[in-house]
Amino acid sequence: MTIVQLGIFALVAILIGQLKKSRELAILAASVFVLFWLQPSQQFVSLVFWIPAATIGLTIFTWLLVSTPESRVWEVNWPSILVIAVVVLLIDLNQFFGLETIYMTTTPRLWMIGTGFIVYISFLMAATRLADKLKFLLTAVFIGIIFLLVYLKTPFLISKSFELIYALRGQESPAEAHYIFSWLGFSYITFRLMHTVRDFQTGRLPALNLGEYVNYVIFFPSFTAGPIDRAERFVQELRTPIALADQDWLEAGKRFFLGMFKKFVIADSLALIAINEMLVNQVHSAAWMWFFLYMYSLRIYFDFSGYTDVAIGLARVMGVRLPENFASPYFKPNLTLFWNSWHMTLTQWFRAYLFNPMTRWMRTKNISIPLIIFATQICTMSLIGLWHGVSWNFLLWGIWHGVGLFIQNRWSEFVRVRTTSPLPPRRQLLLNAGGIFLTFNFVSLGWLFFTLPSPQIALLAMSKLFGIGL
Amino acid sequence: MSVEITSTLAKHIAEKIIKQPSRVITPDEPIISSGLIDSFSLMDLALYVEDTFGVRIDDTELNATSFDSLDQLASLIQSRKA
Repeated sequence: MTIVQLGIFALVAILIGQLKKSRELAILAASVFVLFWLQPSQQFVSLVFWIPAATIGLTIFTWLLVSTPESRVWEVNWPSILVIAVVVLLIDLNQFFGLETIYMTTTPRLWMIGTGFIVYISFLMAATRLADKLKFLLTAVFIGIIFLLVYLKTPFLISKSFELIYALRGQESPAEAHYIFSWLGFSYITFRLMHTVRDFQTGRLPALNLGEYVNYVIFFPSFTAGPIDRAERFVQELRTPIALADQDWLEAGKRFFLGMFKKFVIADSLALIAINEMLVNQVHSAAWMWFFLYMYSLRIYFDFSGYTDVAIGLARVMGVRLPENFASPYFKPNLTLFWNSWHMTLTQWFRAYLFNPMTRWMRTKNISIPLIIFATQICTMSLIGLWHGVSWNFLLWGIWHGVGLFIQNRWSEFVRVRTTSPLPPRRQLLLNAGGIFLTFNFVSLGWLFFTLPSPQIALLAMSKLFGIGL
Repeated sequence: MSVEITSTLAKHIAEKIIKQPSRVITPDEPIISSGLIDSFSLMDLALYVEDTFGVRIDDTELNATSFDSLDQLASLIQSRKA
């Protein structure tokens, strides 16, 4: 996102924060608009419209399945339906308005979205009748979302499907092997949808009306890069009447500007001296390699946590407190604590829906504890890696951390049972400092897999860092 | 009642989870955010609570936001029992 876009976000957020009534609808209108506005260009131009439309379609469909009959009543939901329909229509009408700076002007013809709308509404009406009877629909949606995510994250599958489309059209596919197909925000939207489906199945999801649900899934400050809130928490914030004190304004402003500074000044400057493929090939000094690696570690932190600050600040002026995503992760004395403070909302999600159920299940079987810890850590961290993209690099990054967490867990256990009394403060301080140093370096080495384009280059970088092959 | 629960929990954590029987865990001490109990041991604690007090703690509740001290865990248990 650009500074100008975030500036506009801030203005819109401030205006929404002034509303005493209809705040939920205003957030909804802004979020639906932003969903279309930020969608990047695509291989096929029409997808710039249809992808965000599909996001809304999927969100509304999922809401139908996870809502109660009482929360589905027309009287409650018609304003939200109207707002969504009007915003989508206005965006489509840009073919007549011709506002190129706001959105593309080659939006689908009116008859096309009219037909799409009628087909979709018929589908929803059928689904509403069936939803309460056919419980498997929920599981089907859950699995469908996972499949879609895997597809979107796998460049090979995208290439193959585009080649197929060109072949079906009888056209020659373009020479470039990389097709442009990106579903903006889907990685995060997936987790919100899956969380609501699972919690509905276990009876833990509160009743949400359409506006609340769509707002939760595509809330504009957080839909592209998190944090991943929990529905019950988010809705509670939304339902509380807004009452911003001076202190709230001050804190929101501080978070917003701090985030902008971290992202656009610090992170963007560090990007110039952060490790990349070219540097790995050209640098012949281990010391400089460490320097460039550390710069990358700092850059990714300032970039990501900076964006989180911006999102938290924007949400705050609209009366919504988003959860924190970072808590000084590089100052943690071990890897477990690092992962408790880095991209916290993502790790909490994985803990709740993968790690804990898997551990619970394995604990009821006769499986040795170290094996359970190994399996759950490797599995969770590999999936967190693959969530960033289905590639060897992300998988290796995940395994790197999974193995690291396992070794740290076993070591802590080994030390703990042998520690009878607390250490003297000085020794504890030294131990903590050593732990912070070790953890930071372990995490930094892991970033090599994360940022460099192939495992071979990552391994070359790693060997150069230790003075081999310079 | 709450004191009974917290002392039972404190004893169990010290003896069985962190395996330092002499370690005193105060009722208001953070046990998750401090790293005293890792995510694996947290599941063990949940299973113990379920067996001992007969209340279910959901997988989604095993985090520092739901409870971070024995006092908070005891209130959660009591609210479920009620």
